[in-house]
Amino acid sequence: MIDFSRVQKELQDCDKDKDASGIRVCPKSDSLTRLTGTIPGPIGTPYEGGTFQIDITIPDGYPFEPPKMQFSTKVWHPNISSQSGAICLDVLKDQWSPALTLKTALVSIQALLSAPEPKDPQDAVVAEQYMKNYQVFVSTARYWTETFAKNSSLDEKVKRLVEMGFGDAQVRTALESSGGDENVALEKLCSG
Amino acid sequence: MISDSITNASATAAPSARDFGKKKRTNRTAKLKQSKLGLRREQWLSQVAMVNKGGKEEMDANRKPGSEKSDQRDRPVVNLDGHQRGEEDDNNSGANRHESFMESLSNSPNSILSGMNSIPNFSSSSSSGSGGSCSGNITEEEDADDDGCLDDWEAIADALAADDEKHEKENPPEFSEEHEHENIQQSACESDVAVSRKQKSNQAWRPDDELRPQGLPNLGKQRSSPVMNFHYSSVAVPSSCPICYEDLDLTDSNFLPCPCGFRLCLFCHKTICDGDGRCPGCRKPYERNTVKVETSVQGGGLTIRLARSSSMFCRS
Repeated sequence: MIDFSRVQKELQDCDKDKDASGIRVCPKSDSLTRLTGTIPGPIGTPYEGGTFQIDITIPDGYPFEPPKMQFSTKVWHPNISSQSGAICLDVLKDQWSPALTLKTALVSIQALLSAPEPKDPQDAVVAEQYMKNYQVFVSTARYWTETFAKNSSLDEKVKRLVEMGFGDAQVRTALESSGGDENVALEKLCSG
Repeated sequence: MISDSITNASATAAPSARDFGKKKRTNRTAKLKQSKLGLRREQWLSQVAMVNKGGKEEMDANRKPGSEKSDQRDRPVVNLDGHQRGEEDDNNSGANRHESFMESLSNSPNSILSGMNSIPNFSSSSSSGSGGSCSGNITEEEDADDDGCLDDWEAIADALAADDEKHEKENPPEFSEEHEHENIQQSACESDVAVSRKQKSNQAWRPDDELRPQGLPNLGKQRSSPVMNFHYSSVAVPSSCPICYEDLDLTDSNFLPCPCGFRLCLFCHKTICDGDGRCPGCRKPYERNTVKVETSVQGGGLTIRLARSSSMFCRS
């Protein structure tokens, strides 16, 4: 049985200093078992300026079991799967403590963004690039941040796609059907 | 009776103030900083009042008394260590010293008198702030390096050696035995007339003054000084369980399952013991065999010990 009162209080506490921390937790539905966490990319990293969303699932045993968290925003990071967004972080696994909270877990993830651990990788490709070709890693990570973690308005997306040579109405339809994802829309435009 | 209590208190603490002067000096810089934070706030408050009265001349005129007041504030903090040691000394071989100080005190009735006068003055340190009179001195200290600050302090101490003698006698009672506190409070009341006169001359807040800022400390607040609060916080019991966020009842708050000091309610503790059994605070496994003993016997024993240590701290 989930301790909803604790989750509820955590949400309130997190809401109190969301401006100072930049970390938000919002429920996806009324059930409080599925939440969305938002963390800003740490300053001085390739993730600076991005806003990263994290899917949170509260297990039955919470807070005695760790919450399940994974990135829904695509991130280029040695300890985060570039495919699934799965996070390799000890406090979300064996080092979880009931004294930790959703917010402290999100802070830990934010710290992971600034301090990658390529020796304990989640994404082997990214980790290898980080170790062997750091500059390429940085530029890739920055590109991914620009592309996936920055909310550009619909008009900007339309403008970019129109510049590629597609018609305005066509672009808007494609963006609509792809849920605002620029790349999916581009694929649709190219294939159709 | 009043003078008795003061002689006792000063006799116990005065030797320590001298014998451990060196030790005090090393601690002083760190402790000065702590007390300065509080001082700065008070000064700011009283400075505002001062500016309103346009008493810039008074600021200069009062600078000297102000600086000695700052000594007063710092000193109880410093005496904490010294006084405890001083008590030990008395137990061992302090009897002779005790007498000699009794003598010195009885030979100089003036010092007792003046001590009585300034005790209440110290207790309501709003008045000792005395309308920005000490602001100049203190801000200088703050701007200076730690060493410079120390030098300043010592220079003042030397210049006011005579006054210091008195302060050393009047300060220790603040941290002495409980009943002595009461005596001092009595004496504070009795020498009220002298105080109010003194306060008027310094343009200070009277305790009953309407305009007196609420943030300024009084005797009650002084006794729970920042230093004490700091020490208490290290053993403070949280009001709610950090795991389930429910309020801790009396049993829960006496329950100390892990040497790391992490407290939680019995329900959460049981849930954890049913699982991996590691303390949420330090991640070390609970010692399963001793946990039950601790809840019934050791838990209570620990509480008593904590209570005792804190009451000792009040006295020292």
